[in-house]
Amino acid sequence: MEEEQLIAGLRAKDKKTTDYLYEKYSRALFAVISRIVHDSDIAEEIFHDAFVKITKKIDRYDESKGRLYTWMANICRNSAIDKLRSKEISQSSKTNAIDDFVYGLESKSGTEAMTDGIGVRELMDQLNEDQRFIIEYIYFKGYTHSEVSEEFEIPLGTVKSRVRASLQVLKKNLDRI
Amino acid sequence: MDIQSYIASGKLELFLLGELNEREREEVLTLAKLHPEIKKELEELEQTMFAFDELTGTQPSKAVKDKIFASLESEFKSTEEDTTAVEEPKVAKVVRLSLWKAYAAAASVVAVLAVGAALFYANKFYEKDEQFTALLQEQSVMADNLNQVKMEFEQKESQLDKIVAGDYKRVEMKGEGFDMQKDAKVDVYWDQNAQEVLVAVNNLNSLSEEYDYQLWAIGDDGPIGIGLVNPGEKFTLQQMEAVAQAGAFAITIEPKGGSESPTLEKLVVLGEVA
Repeated sequence: MEEEQLIAGLRAKDKKTTDYLYEKYSRALFAVISRIVHDSDIAEEIFHDAFVKITKKIDRYDESKGRLYTWMANICRNSAIDKLRSKEISQSSKTNAIDDFVYGLESKSGTEAMTDGIGVRELMDQLNEDQRFIIEYIYFKGYTHSEVSEEFEIPLGTVKSRVRASLQVLKKNLDRI
Repeated sequence: MDIQSYIASGKLELFLLGELNEREREEVLTLAKLHPEIKKELEELEQTMFAFDELTGTQPSKAVKDKIFASLESEFKSTEEDTTAVEEPKVAKVVRLSLWKAYAAAASVVAVLAVGAALFYANKFYEKDEQFTALLQEQSVMADNLNQVKMEFEQKESQLDKIVAGDYKRVEMKGEGFDMQKDAKVDVYWDQNAQEVLVAVNNLNSLSEEYDYQLWAIGDDGPIGIGLVNPGEKFTLQQMEAVAQAGAFAITIEPKGGSESPTLEKLVVLGEVA
């Protein structure tokens, strides 16, 4: 289904289109949330609310301001960060978030999760120390780039270029997979 | 505009992460419309982010999907008649609640609403807080600029005071008569009573590292060096050494730091006191 068609269907409150949206994006969107919020029950609760919000607010989505996935991913990311900051849940800050996450993926039963987990570990191994740090804080701990800059006293420009460099590494390696 | 360095700045990544403010977002969107390279990069990055999320993701449980679609059931435009009744076990329970339980239930609803409101306002607060920090930063930059402007202004003002209060005579020095720089023009302002000399460069070529312009007051005792003139500082007043008596002023090019007596072959400008 083309993105335009998908959006039109969602705006028409069509159930089948919503189902299609769910099947196509739920895995990725749930990943955005669950790498920030590790408790799977809470992550599912956030995902439920975020997905309902996406469906209900589709009229507010403006195609000229960015692609659909980016809009949806940001809703999920913000919901997860809000929850994290509400301090209802505690985020273990001392442990290594990426390793925890990869370990979590690997320990999930089922061969599918198994293979993916190994893929993620390999992918993470492609990042150098600085890039891994950036991905850890921005992707897995829900920091904004300015928070990373302030808390670790790294100049904003350096944070930006490391975000870029990290994504370039991911891009290169994801193309390969 | 250098598109490659714009792309390399990392701004597009922040755009996709939803971390840019409204003005910056507009900038990215406008540039993406103007430059296909930027648009392409945005699409590729989005694809990367999606692929990364997809790769690192696990499917949420079937129960969540069911719950989501149950929540949305009333939203859908019914194209086909709904055949399955939505389970509503909670409603059934409410009926059996005793009075105090009903109060407890009501209280917990209030609590949930309060938590919701708290989350909502906390979120607002963080937003405003960020905006506030950004404004503070902007303000401190502006304050710095203002200070600098103020300092410059004070400097100019004290120079102006000097000019207005003193009895300055303007001596125009020109390069027309000499081979060095025909279009050179430098003005000397001389207060004979206060013995103050100021110099304003109007036009003077810059010199290589090894040389300096030196100003000479030519009086009855011959030329006396009264300071070095900076050719870069145009139309500002440069303070020179005191002179009580002079019939003319001149500038020559001398080895760095100036000389005891002028190198006349390198006379640049000369002006006689009227």
